[in-house]
Amino acid sequence: MNRSLLILLAATAGGVALAGCGSPAAEYRRYETFAHKAAQDAGIEKLKASQLSEVDDLLAAFYGTPDEPAIPAVEDADIASVLSLPLLQMAAGPVGSDEQGRPRGLYREHCAHCHGITGDGNGPTAAFLNPYPRDYRPGKFKFKSTPVGGKPTHADLKKVLLEGVAGTAMPSFKLLTDIEVEALTQYVIYLSLRGETERELIRMQAELDLDSEPNARLVNIVTENATDEERQLQQEQMAAVKEKIATVVNKWTGAMDASVEIPPRPEMTPEELVESRKLGRTLFYGSIANCVKCHGDSALGDGQLTDYDDWTKEFIGEGKDPEVVAQYVALGLPEPRNIRPRNLRMGIYRGGMRPIDIYWRIRNGIEGTPMPAATMKPDGDPNAKGLTPDDIWHIVNYIESLPYESISNPNDAAERALERMRM
Amino acid sequence: MSQREIQRQSPWPHRLAVLLALVTFPLIWVGGLVTTYDAGMAVPDWPGTYGYNLFAYPWTTWVAGPWDLFIEHGHRLLGATAGLVAIALVIVTFLTEKRTVIRFAAAGALVLVVVQGALGGARVLLDARLVAMIHGCLGPAFFAYLAALIAATSCRPPSSERTAAPVSTLGPLARTAWILAALACGQLILGAVLRHIPYGATPQVFRIALVFHLVVAAAVVLQVGWTAVQAWPVGRQFRGLRSPSLALLALVALQIVLGLATYVAKYSWPAWFGDYQFAAAYVVEERSLHQALVTTAHVAGGSLILFTAVTLAMRSSLAAVSGESRAPSAHSQPASPFSALLWKRRTAL
Ligand code: HEC
Ligand code: HEC
Repeated sequence: MNRSLLILLAATAGGVALAGCGSPAAEYRRYETFAHKAAQDAGIEKLKASQLSEVDDLLAAFYGTPDEPAIPAVEDADIASVLSLPLLQMAAGPVGSDEQGRPRGLYREHCAHCHGITGDGNGPTAAFLNPYPRDYRPGKFKFKSTPVGGKPTHADLKKVLLEGVAGTAMPSFKLLTDIEVEALTQYVIYLSLRGETERELIRMQAELDLDSEPNARLVNIVTENATDEERQLQQEQMAAVKEKIATVVNKWTGAMDASVEIPPRPEMTPEELVESRKLGRTLFYGSIANCVKCHGDSALGDGQLTDYDDWTKEFIGEGKDPEVVAQYVALGLPEPRNIRPRNLRMGIYRGGMRPIDIYWRIRNGIEGTPMPAATMKPDGDPNAKGLTPDDIWHIVNYIESLPYESISNPNDAAERALERMRM
Repeated sequence: MSQREIQRQSPWPHRLAVLLALVTFPLIWVGGLVTTYDAGMAVPDWPGTYGYNLFAYPWTTWVAGPWDLFIEHGHRLLGATAGLVAIALVIVTFLTEKRTVIRFAAAGALVLVVVQGALGGARVLLDARLVAMIHGCLGPAFFAYLAALIAATSCRPPSSERTAAPVSTLGPLARTAWILAALACGQLILGAVLRHIPYGATPQVFRIALVFHLVVAAAVVLQVGWTAVQAWPVGRQFRGLRSPSLALLALVALQIVLGLATYVAKYSWPAWFGDYQFAAAYVVEERSLHQALVTTAHVAGGSLILFTAVTLAMRSSLAAVSGESRAPSAHSQPASPFSALLWKRRTAL
């Protein structure tokens, strides 16, 4: 019996090894989930294979391959301000280094096993991780200083790489050299641009009217003996594609200095701080901020446990239809998992531990997650509903005192925190 | 070969085999570091280093150079040293040893060193992950081979100090130990798959490999427990059986801790620990010394378990055969064909 068990084991081990090694040279993976969704949205059954391969070709023309990245040549965007080719080349390609110790293939060395070659957050190790590694393609990032819908600044991304994300698998890369971190930061932007472009192109394909013109393409192929009109049309089509890419790029270039301004944290005496925390607590449980709805009565992060993040919700909605879920999982969506609001009694913040980081999270929300941006009071209307920057600082002060608050007797929390401070 | 002949046997093949193992173990560590730091391609050519002959590469450039160049070249130097020791081993064995099996075994060690070196070179020249993986698996396999060689060349084969040897219990022990060695070997392969997981692989591949790695880990634990249970009574009569089985218990316990630590050092605590402060605050630090040491120790630990399992298996097999020869009336079967071959002449006495 032992012997047959052994043979079985050996065979499986060998099989696993071969399955892994049989994979071909690095290639970008197609955005199957989005192609399916775009087709559904457009009311067609699915995109034709020729349409998808045109998307692949256009992407390769503008962005190159995993081994040979390219910077898309579009006139209407200052792409050089976010990407530099030598740095991208350092991050792309197979792992190695030259005699000067200059590295190559940094992304594959450090990131691809989690985030995937394509940046689809679906590398080989991804299935085990919770939260899943980021899928860069929708262009959404959690920990940033810019408002919801905006791109992170360069500094925001770099901070994530340098500090990692506590309590998740996302490592800190502070032991890499500055130039390496820079190259990787740019490569994330590059993959994100490529992913967003892929979405745009797929959407364009889905909107083509194939019923009246079965062979319609995004960009026609012109032959030697094409007429001027045909050439003209092709150029217009190309211009339309480039315009889409420029829109995508401009979202990034525009974000580079778009951090939300933060009024300085008010100076407070210890007594004022106690008051501020009490105010913060009231807001936390109040109807405007309503933090309690998700983070729970005791702020243990147990209020709202059935929601999903946007990377999942985009495809499966509320996740009510198991068939839809199964369909997308088959197309490569990671098995949907509920997102849990943070346990705020831990005193650990994934997006950074500085008060200003917590302020940003509360002020701007956490993009891609249910955590909403604060409703701010419009300027000049004292009666309007909403929070002021000072209110947000009150909440920050309260959040920071939460780890010291007793769950059974929360009312003395502010005083107890004060005592600790004085000790 | 008579008892007296064994006593006159040259100790040098055994000593050189031990020396070779002593060189090989750090080689496995450094090789593990090469993988951890992905330094395998720090030197793009082979067998030279940047056009220099391996031993002539300016040592100042080496020591003062970048870390990945340092360990990769160091790995090559150690490998070359292993090659030299293996050559010496073959020469000495052919001069002093009469048993053909041992001569072949020594020559085999040299062949393995050469193959391993060539694979290492192919890994650099072809830059292929598959080659890297085979290279990584052959290292521990060679180490295990040395364990067998060391046991076989030993001048003092484990023998019964009393006359009435319970030979019948040696066979089962040997079998358990050989199965353990096979399990440890499979476990090393699975570990290599996990470490060298190709970037294009699907999450499914990694999942299967990881689950198997855990299942086989459980099997190894059971098997080690079983060897200890079997080795204990036999060890009263036979020298050198209890210590490896005790060592295995300790090594496996350590290895499990190292395995969990490796997971955490690479992927952080699983989410269900999220409500503990230490887990929520844990930040994986890529390339940190802590991470490198934990992972490499786990890799080396695997090799050491395999080495010890083979040592125990060889010793019990040899003891079984020598026990038979001493009590020819006991018609028990040879513990393994290999040991029977090795001690054939002696039984014929
Ligand atoms: C061990 C797996 C792992 C590795 C390796 C890894 N990441 Fe991540 N990464 C994650 C996980 C998990 C998250 C999601 C964290 C979260 O959602 O809170 C993440 C998130 C991110 C984010 C998004 C942060 C945000 O604000 O939304 C970026 C950018 C990122 N990783 C870049 C990288 C880069 C660049 C590398 C390689 C240098 C890398 N990661 C390596 C697992 C990993
Ligand atoms: C609709 C649900 C929801 C509401 C309302 C909500 N949160 Fe959150 N909050 C979340 C989720 C989900 C996360 C975890 C996001 C992630 O995956 O990183 C989170 C995370 C946080 C974090 C952790 C940030 C970090 O860097 O780790 C803080 C602090 C926080 N929330 C504070 C608040 C405060 C203060 C309010 C009220 C103004 C609030 N939340 C309202 C859902 C919510």
